[in-house]
Amino acid sequence: MSDPFSFQLRQVSKRFVKGKETITIFDGLDLDIPAGDFVAIMGPSGSGKTTLLNLLGGIDHVTSGEILFDDRRVDTLTENQLSAWRAANVGFIFQFYNLMPVLTAAQNVELPLLLTNLGRKERRTNVATALELVGLSDRAAHYPREMSGGQQQRVAIARAIVSDPQVLLCDEPTGDLDRSTADEVLGILKLLNQEHGKTVVVVTHDPEVTRHTRRTLHLNKGVFEEKTALA
Amino acid sequence: MGRVISQVTAIASMNIRSIPQRLWMSLSTVVAIALVVAVLLAFLAMGNGFRQAQSSAGAEDIAIMLRDGAQTEINSAVTREQADLIEEAPGIARENGRPLVSAELYVIVDGTSRANGLRANLPLRGLALGGVALRHDVRIAEGRLFQTGTNEIVVGRSVTREFAGFDLGKTMRLGQSVWTVVGVFEDGGTVRESELWGDVGVVQSVFKRANFFQTIRARLQSPRSLPALKAYVDADPRLKFAVQSETEYFSEQAKQSSNLIQKLGWPLAIIMAIGALAGALNTMYSSVASRGTEIATLRAIGFGRIPTFAGTLAEALTLAVIGGGVGIIAATLLFQGYSASTLSANFTQVVFTFKVTPALCVSALVLALIVGLIGGIFPAFRAARQPIVGMLGDQ
Amino acid sequence: MNQALLVAKNLSRRKLRTSLMLVAIFIAFFLYGALECFNRAFHSSENSGAAERLVTVNRINFTMPLPVNYAGRVRQVEGVTSVSYQSWFGGYYQDQRQPLFMFAVDPVSYLEVYSGIQLPAEQRRAWLTNRSAVAVGKTTAAKYGWKVGDRVPIASNIYLRKDGAKAWEFDIAAIFSDPDDTAREGLIMMSHDYFDETVTFGRDQVNMLVFSTVSPKRNDEIAKAVDALFANSEAETSTDTAAAFNRAFVAQLGNIALIITLVVATAFAAILMIVGNTMVMAVRERTREIGVLKTLGFRGSTILSQILAESLLLALLGAVLGLGAATLAVAAAGKFIQGFGSNMNMTAGVFLGGVGWALLLGLVTGAVPAWSGMRLQIATALGRR
Ligand SMILES: Nc1ncnc2c1ncn2[C@@H]1O[C@H](COP(=O)(O)OP(=O)(O)OP(=O)(O)O)[C@@H](O)[C@H]1O
Ligand SMILES: [Mg+2]
Repeated sequence: MSDPFSFQLRQVSKRFVKGKETITIFDGLDLDIPAGDFVAIMGPSGSGKTTLLNLLGGIDHVTSGEILFDDRRVDTLTENQLSAWRAANVGFIFQFYNLMPVLTAAQNVELPLLLTNLGRKERRTNVATALELVGLSDRAAHYPREMSGGQQQRVAIARAIVSDPQVLLCDEPTGDLDRSTADEVLGILKLLNQEHGKTVVVVTHDPEVTRHTRRTLHLNKGVFEEKTALA
Repeated sequence: MGRVISQVTAIASMNIRSIPQRLWMSLSTVVAIALVVAVLLAFLAMGNGFRQAQSSAGAEDIAIMLRDGAQTEINSAVTREQADLIEEAPGIARENGRPLVSAELYVIVDGTSRANGLRANLPLRGLALGGVALRHDVRIAEGRLFQTGTNEIVVGRSVTREFAGFDLGKTMRLGQSVWTVVGVFEDGGTVRESELWGDVGVVQSVFKRANFFQTIRARLQSPRSLPALKAYVDADPRLKFAVQSETEYFSEQAKQSSNLIQKLGWPLAIIMAIGALAGALNTMYSSVASRGTEIATLRAIGFGRIPTFAGTLAEALTLAVIGGGVGIIAATLLFQGYSASTLSANFTQVVFTFKVTPALCVSALVLALIVGLIGGIFPAFRAARQPIVGMLGDQ
Repeated sequence: MNQALLVAKNLSRRKLRTSLMLVAIFIAFFLYGALECFNRAFHSSENSGAAERLVTVNRINFTMPLPVNYAGRVRQVEGVTSVSYQSWFGGYYQDQRQPLFMFAVDPVSYLEVYSGIQLPAEQRRAWLTNRSAVAVGKTTAAKYGWKVGDRVPIASNIYLRKDGAKAWEFDIAAIFSDPDDTAREGLIMMSHDYFDETVTFGRDQVNMLVFSTVSPKRNDEIAKAVDALFANSEAETSTDTAAAFNRAFVAQLGNIALIITLVVATAFAAILMIVGNTMVMAVRERTREIGVLKTLGFRGSTILSQILAESLLLALLGAVLGLGAATLAVAAAGKFIQGFGSNMNMTAGVFLGGVGWALLLGLVTGAVPAWSGMRLQIATALGRR
């Protein structure tokens, strides 16, 4: 393999202990996600898709095993190191957008830039670029409650990409949207993958999504059944 | 009508039972209201105790005569000649042919406060044994009365409690001579118990006030005899006296010397109540917010606006009553009977005890209820006016 | 945009709730400011130069008289620099129930001993030369609307005039201030010579001698020497620093400091509960948002400081408004209060003390939610819906 990997999972196990019960979600999972991949993860409810995304993004911890990003271990990082790593490398997109209701679209997008050393001017340029990319330049001053679901999700995408991370992790990004709006959002993700070289991981229940992605992983009982895209 | 009432009770009891779900918010309101009530009661009990110590000291059938314009015993002055004239006055009771009149000297001496070890003004009253007899309610609780012509004193119970060195059998220097405490008297905690009593002749000579008094007290045949005595005094140019019944005198004293601190109770409590009100409103608005879906559901199945309104109000009033109750109990436990002293209009220490009374508790509870009412009424409006659509299920 | 904006936005997202908390904080700090100013003014006579002056009173009690010739004898005591004396006049103006804080003094020595008293030179001359004149402290002058040159009738509820007239007619010769001891600005001073000339009794007697010494270090020794001078005489004396004397006198009125402390503590306890719980609730509502911020890469410590900044801002805002209102209230109230406490004013000490308490309040009320915000697990935060 000549392509560098975004993520490599080696023998990852994840268990939840609840009282006396232990729920095993993954037991010795291996997974490679090359840089520039656009991968859909599907599977029945409760199969562990969100958990996997959380592990990739460093917002949950493995019980055992290793996670490598760019050939470096990330599962051993401390909370603060993980924060910094996420700020630099990962963008998250959620089903329910999770925008700050008190901030305008532009301010929401600017949020991750507060963690950088960028000056006010540069931040403004970056925000404008990100909003333009998702086609919402005219909505910069609007608050989330003044926007449709699709628009809010596009703001969320702009927020995810504004600090130019390598990876986008999306948890059911179209789950709350109608067909055409969903397609718009997927179009943007595809653009980001193809034109900007972002690695995109999309967890979804929507089979239509797989038409846009390079490959699809089916998660079932903690194990992958790989199928490449039909196209 | 019956339907509305049963709806109100249903919602109110549901709200009240849900208070534990917002335990901390509700608790903070209860505590805030309790603190306001406790502060108010403490001040009212202090003022009440102070007033009672003075006003309950007086008797209707004892007349007290002060130099015109003096207002207080310490500022007054009476000569031997004037005292003799009063003995001839009409309306005064007699025993075995002798008028029941007591000319008294009132000087201020130093005592040492037990609380802070500092010097404090105590009144030493010089009076004859007949003067002691004038005061019906006084009884010797320990030891005996002083003997005429000796350096013996009896001291009020409050003095022994608040000031050091006046216990039975103790000796002390007052003026140029040494005195012995031979008795302790009680008078139901009135201002009298803050006094030291000695023989008038001895006090006059030790303090170099021969033939000099400050006040004259006289037992009247009946309270109705007062005008006759007044007329007699007014008619004689040698007697420039203000004549009052003891009751009048002491209630006037109480009025004059209730100082700034005692008047502070209500203003302070009202200011603090505004703070507690802010807390109550906050709690009730968040209660309404957290029950949004529940309220909408109830309205959807047919409950009216009035029960929704009343239910929320009932919750607020419940918190207020609990807070008020806690405040009353706390104030009673902490302050009932607490002994303190302050300077009276006579420029001497008045020892008094805090008195929490049912009437004071009622006014404190009313304040709590007002906080509850205002704190509940606006959130209750919001609850009643909340739209049903949009609050059901989603979120 | 910056983090400060985020904090401000969080505070203003529920305007009603924030306003209610501000009201509660405002009230507590208003009470603190007003009561603490009163307390300071009330006890001000215990400081300000009073530690250096000595006071001699009758050993029996300070209301008992001393012969006026004691002043001359104290002046002879080694180490005493100047001696003055004063008698309580029991004066009142129009309303018998509103006593004036009025003394008969020896003007020349009085101004020597109380060297902090300030009055224009010509007013000073007028007071010293006109025996029937009084010098009035500026707060009392303001209270009754008196001006220099006014003639006011003042009666006494202790002393009577020889000529049988009910009141003394005094010319107001001077209005003075005393920045070091503002309590003094509530007093009125008449001439003791004039007093002696006009009263029916009480002539040549004084309530108190006040004197200054070469050095406060020698005060103990000088006080003992003075009392020894009059031991076994008709009127034995008790000498102490003016500060100690004032402290004992003020204590006789009651434990004001304790009462004020209790009231202020009560008010603070109430807002601690109200604001603390509300902050917890406000932050709990934002659990999901905090989760998102952390996913974006915000550190736990950043979240912690954001929440603390929020509670601090709230506390400081309420406190500054409350202290500001107290400043106005105290200035206004001083005009209505008679005697003790009438010289109250907002001081830098009280104000800064309030700001200090506000910082503490902000930290305490923010501590629990800030800590839980910092410790919040992202997965849990995002999972909760
Ligand atoms: N904190 C937790 N404690 C215990 N069990 C958990 C926890 N988080 C997730 N689980 C369990 O792990 C399993 C996987 O959950 P996860 O959210 O990853 O599923 P999912 O594939 O994303 O499902 P869905 O499609 O419904 O979103 C579930 O059975 C869930 O109950
Ligand atoms: Mg999921």
